[in-house]
Amino acid sequence: MKIETKEVNDIVIFELDGEVDLETSPTLRKNLLKHVNVGKSVIVGMNGVAYIDSSGIASLVEAYQTSRRNSSGFVLAAISDSAMRVLQLARLDKVFTIQATIDDAVRSLNS
Amino acid sequence: MHMETKLNESIAFSIDRQVSLLANMTAQFANTLNVDETLRNALCEITNYMNAEGGAVFLMDEATQIITCVACYGATEITGLKLEYGQGIVGKSVASNQGALVRDVKNDPDFYGAVDDQTGFTTKSILCAPLSVKDRCVGAIELVNKKKADELFDETDLKVLETLASSAALAVINARMARALVEQERVKRELELAAEIQRRFLPDAHEAGDTIFGINKAARGVSGDFFDYFKLPDGRIYFGLGDVSGKGINAALLMSKTASLFRCLGKTVRDPGKLLGRINAELCETATHGMFVTMVAGIYDPRPGCEGLIRLANAGHEPVLLFQNDTFKTYGADGPPLGIVPPLPGEDGAYDEVQVFPQGGSLYIYTDGLTEGYTLTGHPLEAEGVQHILRQYAHESLTTQLDRLVEAVSPDPSALRDDVTVLALTDALRPVHDSETKVGQNETDHGAEQDGDWLIDFKFPARPGWMKLARACVRESCQKVGCNETDTSDIVLAVDEACQNVIRHAYGGPSDEEIELTVRQRPGRLVFRLRDFAPMVPPGFIKPRNLEDIRPGGLGTHLIQEVMDDVQYLRPTQGEGNLLRLVKNIDVNKKGTSKQ
Repeated sequence: MKIETKEVNDIVIFELDGEVDLETSPTLRKNLLKHVNVGKSVIVGMNGVAYIDSSGIASLVEAYQTSRRNSSGFVLAAISDSAMRVLQLARLDKVFTIQATIDDAVRSLNS
Repeated sequence: MHMETKLNESIAFSIDRQVSLLANMTAQFANTLNVDETLRNALCEITNYMNAEGGAVFLMDEATQIITCVACYGATEITGLKLEYGQGIVGKSVASNQGALVRDVKNDPDFYGAVDDQTGFTTKSILCAPLSVKDRCVGAIELVNKKKADELFDETDLKVLETLASSAALAVINARMARALVEQERVKRELELAAEIQRRFLPDAHEAGDTIFGINKAARGVSGDFFDYFKLPDGRIYFGLGDVSGKGINAALLMSKTASLFRCLGKTVRDPGKLLGRINAELCETATHGMFVTMVAGIYDPRPGCEGLIRLANAGHEPVLLFQNDTFKTYGADGPPLGIVPPLPGEDGAYDEVQVFPQGGSLYIYTDGLTEGYTLTGHPLEAEGVQHILRQYAHESLTTQLDRLVEAVSPDPSALRDDVTVLALTDALRPVHDSETKVGQNETDHGAEQDGDWLIDFKFPARPGWMKLARACVRESCQKVGCNETDTSDIVLAVDEACQNVIRHAYGGPSDEEIELTVRQRPGRLVFRLRDFAPMVPPGFIKPRNLEDIRPGGLGTHLIQEVMDDVQYLRPTQGEGNLLRLVKNIDVNKKGTSKQ
């Protein structure tokens, strides 16, 4: 798994690439929490996610819940088919805020 | 007449001196256990008394029959000289238990001239008397040359020397007997100490509560039997009982070694079958001629949800007895005794295990000292007698039951024929949890054979870093049988989640212990088996979480059930661990998932 991060107007944009599993998800969790804990809005671009398991999903859930407590935004964007399938199986596809592209996500957070 | 009187006076005088010398020597010998020094003193008195140039005392080691010079006086110093039994004049005298008088040494065929050659001394005549009492000869006294140059020893001298020698012999024999007695006493003390140390190998009574109890009664001070038990950190109880072939100190030593191996290895090797394999390998490595150990080892699991499962392995020992619902069941030996057959190179030589669900019953393990022990009637107790007594005292405590068994074969405790050792374990004290999920014996994994064509057998350490490879294997086998992409991804996810559960819940975190994954193809479905080697996880423990409750974690089990058509938690047929059987129905002709 590769994580690329950039910050645009106080929004932190993550771009994930590769496999998010039991081995790699702790890194993702740490990176997400670092930003949501200080109240930053976060977008997670998941176009390149070839695989994600429950531990990866759990990291997203934890970050999402923290951001809600902080009233900051947390959006998943450009979700790959395989990642979407797992979100559906976990019945979380209706829980997260999901946008088709990262630009859409940025717009939704700025509006 | 004058001559005769003088001779008589001289004889009387000589008898008088002889008697006083004898009395003096006997008193000296009687008062001391230090024979060597007393012999040295006696030797110089005898040599002077006999007017000899020199004298020597030889003693024979009765075990090796080597004759050694232990003291010398006068002419030559030959202390330490060793002779064979029958060698030389002295050796011959000892061997024949007869005195020797040699007046013409040079022409005597028995004369051992080496000493003269070495010392430059010229031996002219020799007098030699055996140190013997009746038939037992322990050495000899030898005198050389009369002091007066032209005089030779005569028959009278020999008679006198023989009398003195037998007195000395008595002292030597007494001293040897005294030494043997002291040695015997010492050995007895040491055996008592050894027996005391052995008793401390046995666990303290009630070390594991009233659930397990053992008795060991040794026929002699030390025992060739042992039993032991201890609690594992997870609450299970490890127990073992063994019987070393033979009796006495060598059996006791092998028992000590086996008992130590059991306690030491048992702390890490938590499969009784594997443990016996390891002990066997150790005992074979340091083979003790023809000695072997019969042994039973087992683990009792009183934890909630584990139904008191007992895993037993039996290495050539008497059958183990289970008393349950008023009936007896026996579990015989599955393998040879320990210490006979070394494991094949590269194999662990593990013994087979049986699983016993005691359902509140009790388990009894005993040595043949119990079944072969004589009862009051004069007949051996036999297995029937054991069962009879256990039935009679079924409602008593384990302690009472075992006391009754041992009493039956020791009407006279001092006359035990063989060591008697009994170990008993009861499942009656285990609290029954109503809420526990029942996994009956019928739910062990019997389906392995019928589960179809081989696709994958993969064993890997329970570490996150190995999951990528495990997923690749599963993906490969799904694609091989023609699964569509969605099914394939779903299956990969579900198996991954199941592996994660093993790492988290069974092993309690990443571990070098293994996960065993097998995939089989049957018509219309794929069967996955995931096996671990961790202590049993009660099936109710792993539940899918309520999806309404949105929180991180606990999703894995839900995902498995969402994807798979059948999920079963089973018990492996062999050994410890948990087994998860997952079935996914596949329809390779339709495009799309078979389960929505």
